Amino acid sequence: MNNKEAVMDIKYRVNGLIPKFYVIMKIIKKRKYISKALAYLFLSVGASVMITPFLWMIGTSLKSLHEVFVFPPTLFGEQLRWENYLRISDRFPFLQFFFNSLRITVVVVISQVLTSSMAGFTFARLRFKFRDHLFALYLATMMVPVHVTLIPNFILMRHLGLIDTHASLILPALVTAFGTFLMRQFFLTIPAALEDAGKIDGCTPFGIYWRIFLPLSKPAVATLSVFVFMGMWNQFLQPLIFINTKDLMTLPLGLAFTQGFYSTDWPVLMSGTVLSLLPVIIAFLLAQDFFIRGVTLSGLKGE
Amino acid sequence: MAILKGNKLVLGIVVAVIVLGLVLGGITLTRPPAEPEDIAAKPVAEDPAEEPAEEEEAAAAAVTLHFVGWEASPLETESIRKGLDAFMTQNPNITVEYTPVPHAEYETKLITSMAGGAGADVFFVGAELYRSLQLKGQLLDITEYFEAEFELDYFIPSAVSIMLINDRIYGVSSSTVSPILFYNRDIFDKAGLPYPPKNPDEAWTWDEFVEIAKQLTIVEAGETTQFGVFGLENPAWPYMKIAMFLSNEGNVFNEDFTRTTLNTPEVKEVLQSVFDLREKYGVSPEALLLEQLGMSPSHMLQTGRVAMLIDGSWALQQLAQMDFPVGIGVLPKFDSAVTHGQAHLHSAWIDTPNPYEAWKLISFLSSEEYQLDLIHSGLWMPNRTALYTEEGIARWFNPDVHPEGFMDVVPFIRDAIAYPPAFNVRPAAMDIIAEELGAFFDGGKPLNETLADIEIRVNEELAREQ
Amino acid sequence: MKQIKLKRILYSDTTWAFVLLLPNFLGFLIFLIIPMIISFGMSFVSWDLFGPVRWVGFDNYIELFLEDQVFRRVFWNTMYFTAVTVPIGIVLSLFLALAMDQKIIGIKFFRIAYFMPVISSMIAVAIVWQWIYNPEFGLLNYFLGLIGIEGPSWLSDVFWAMPAIIVVSIWQGLGFNMLLFLAGLQGISEVYYEAAEVDGAGWFEKFWNITIPLLAPTTFFVMVMAAIGAFQAFDAVYLMTAGGPARATSVLAHYLYQNAFQYFRMGYASALAYVLFFIVLIFTLIQLRRQRSWLL
Repeated sequence: MNNKEAVMDIKYRVNGLIPKFYVIMKIIKKRKYISKALAYLFLSVGASVMITPFLWMIGTSLKSLHEVFVFPPTLFGEQLRWENYLRISDRFPFLQFFFNSLRITVVVVISQVLTSSMAGFTFARLRFKFRDHLFALYLATMMVPVHVTLIPNFILMRHLGLIDTHASLILPALVTAFGTFLMRQFFLTIPAALEDAGKIDGCTPFGIYWRIFLPLSKPAVATLSVFVFMGMWNQFLQPLIFINTKDLMTLPLGLAFTQGFYSTDWPVLMSGTVLSLLPVIIAFLLAQDFFIRGVTLSGLKGE
Repeated sequence: MAILKGNKLVLGIVVAVIVLGLVLGGITLTRPPAEPEDIAAKPVAEDPAEEPAEEEEAAAAAVTLHFVGWEASPLETESIRKGLDAFMTQNPNITVEYTPVPHAEYETKLITSMAGGAGADVFFVGAELYRSLQLKGQLLDITEYFEAEFELDYFIPSAVSIMLINDRIYGVSSSTVSPILFYNRDIFDKAGLPYPPKNPDEAWTWDEFVEIAKQLTIVEAGETTQFGVFGLENPAWPYMKIAMFLSNEGNVFNEDFTRTTLNTPEVKEVLQSVFDLREKYGVSPEALLLEQLGMSPSHMLQTGRVAMLIDGSWALQQLAQMDFPVGIGVLPKFDSAVTHGQAHLHSAWIDTPNPYEAWKLISFLSSEEYQLDLIHSGLWMPNRTALYTEEGIARWFNPDVHPEGFMDVVPFIRDAIAYPPAFNVRPAAMDIIAEELGAFFDGGKPLNETLADIEIRVNEELAREQ
Repeated sequence: MKQIKLKRILYSDTTWAFVLLLPNFLGFLIFLIIPMIISFGMSFVSWDLFGPVRWVGFDNYIELFLEDQVFRRVFWNTMYFTAVTVPIGIVLSLFLALAMDQKIIGIKFFRIAYFMPVISSMIAVAIVWQWIYNPEFGLLNYFLGLIGIEGPSWLSDVFWAMPAIIVVSIWQGLGFNMLLFLAGLQGISEVYYEAAEVDGAGWFEKFWNITIPLLAPTTFFVMVMAAIGAFQAFDAVYLMTAGGPARATSVLAHYLYQNAFQYFRMGYASALAYVLFFIVLIFTLIQLRRQRSWLL
């Protein structure tokens, strides 16, 4: 069937479903709990679409190479080859890359959280000239595509002799407009009463920040941390361009490098991919509760 | 916007910023161009004969060389590492750090590392990038080193013409590879058809080729279970098709590479014929991008999905490892039985702190000792004329890898024409060609229009001031 | 006197604003503002990364807008991509959020499931989806085959390649947008719904007249962020199709990359980068006009 026929076919099948849809809608209006069941169904279908690729990934990581190209597709091979996970180190020094990624990510997360909270507090609570103009500038920079700054950053790093160092990846990532925005929104929701109490006790603005606002901002900090962690951990383009020496490379590069030009060891590649996902999942799990609260409280709903 | 209204201060700042940008942009980018005299004046000027004296002192000093290449297959990387171990044993003061970079990212990596002042000492250069990089002054002129150890005559013609730029050498060709015809012997046996010819003098004409392909295409219940041939159509990379252009006396570029010659009846005939393989005769499946597949064309041949495969000779390494009787033959011809040849070169970076050691590595990589292993495995074909004599062939021939009758095919590869795009210095031009051919093969664009557009756009690109 | 002055400084907002903002602002200046300015300057030159810089004035922009037919294709592709990805993504994530808002067992499981694509590296996503889209052995064509449809060779089909990339993009972003909507939904006070029920409103009326309007700031934020991301989309294209086939999936960010790192045209690439920037800027300003409240 060519494209046109395939599309017509789908249209035909979908059209048949519409009368059934109306009937379902009527039933919903009468019984509230059906809406919950529907929601459940909807969510489950969606969740399976989300998860299936990952199941596939895990399954393939446990197969042997020739079991990968089979039709019809199978989830698992004949045996579960856990040794594929050990073979990753043959392709690239997994642990080394892992720690490189970890080091860079942790440094950046800490730095971004600190500088963003300081800046966010400043914009939320302190009064000074040009404050709102400056904030608008910050917001504007969120719109700048990464490619606009990539080349000049590259040139800058070259001038500083920092090409092929972790510094070239860390420095441009030390601050973030998004983080500033997030923290500012969050700080806006803290009642002024607390701030006044601080002032009465004789705190400097810094004291208010350090002793009152920062401790309260755990949800927002958790949120920001997860976002930043995710971004830095998975960053691909910058390490590709800035890092040359194998010892300094990061995990995404390692994964990309297991793809050969002509043939790829798919199971090993998949196992490497699965392993590289774990830290982010763990980070997410740990921060989950704070994370959800943080998003809620950061005033994104705005009223 | 109320912020900006009537605020002269802000306006002043904006103007100052723009001016600053223009100035900064100019200053930061300035880098003294590498003039040809500079390049020649670099270490190469030293007469290698004088080297030994310095060498003894230098031999004591430990040197680390960074070597990058791309990985065609895990097997290749293994061969390279083995070779490097041998090199390091022979040269105890040199440590080589080899970093394979995935092919898709290789060019970017090479260019950015050089631009960042951190180029590798020795590296692979694809034949298509070689001239561009030399033009940018990034390759070390190794002519004197080369002439002290090698003769141009040692190499096959296609390799020589690629290596030489204005009579100087900036890299040594690693091997040679060419498009060639592979086939599944079992399928031919089952069909009772004669094997594809191995002698270029007996090459099939295109029509004979199509006939055989038709007979080898099996359709069961409306579905094609076996295709006659695959491999000519991959448009994103016109590699295989160019061999057929050459066979029909057509070419991609004119003699001095200032214009494209794709809009000619010869090329048109080839493109139409390849297209007909799929559309008119149904002997070829829909083109699947190689990177896309996850399963290489080799698997298609092995599983009997296709009877004949037109692919680069490098595929032999993988095909030989699969458990099926694979055969090799020359390409069908339109006018003359030819194929093209090229291979990546090994070059050194112009700013390498250790040019002499870099040359030693390149010399080793160009040695028979190193190359034989890879030729043995079927990945490479030799680019030395000496290895194409009878005794020469015996040195690398591997009955486990090279199929029966391979000896007859060997001259076909030795006499290959140098791959035309290797002489083009505008990468964008090849992308335009790939894009337009893609529109023709997959997007239903009429052939005449496609070729006319290619002509206009590529000529524009070639004429553009750099 | 001096003591009072010192105290004044110590307690002044402006002082601390300066101190607290300094590290952040410095980083900004050096790695964001200045590169932006340099990039702007570079868009007026021709430079191949190695040789001399040549001033060309507006030539890059003229070529871009008037002569480069690849740019037109690429621009169209980017608009197509954004126009499909953003609305579909938003609608789907909104419905998902509505569904998640009900008290359901196993919500933690669902949260992880939806967030997995978001936290995965693009490399992992690209690899897995290339597999799924594989015409011979992939999951998608297998399922389609089960219901009797012969799937095309997705990523190498001129017509289907872009939709294929769009699907991956939406898939990856759903969890994130859903979360934002969820937060927004949870911020809508129950009072409104109760009042509406008293007036006899049904499910649809509640949804249309309460949820949607009160969700506006969130929707606005999600839409702008999604659009900004979509305009700049690069990874999926680079990793999965390299702009092909026949430039069917070539988007602006990818074309920019090619010019900078494959065609030796830094100046032209910078001009492209600035065009991209202005597209994003204009879009955001238009949305801002429509809704000022999100800033506060």
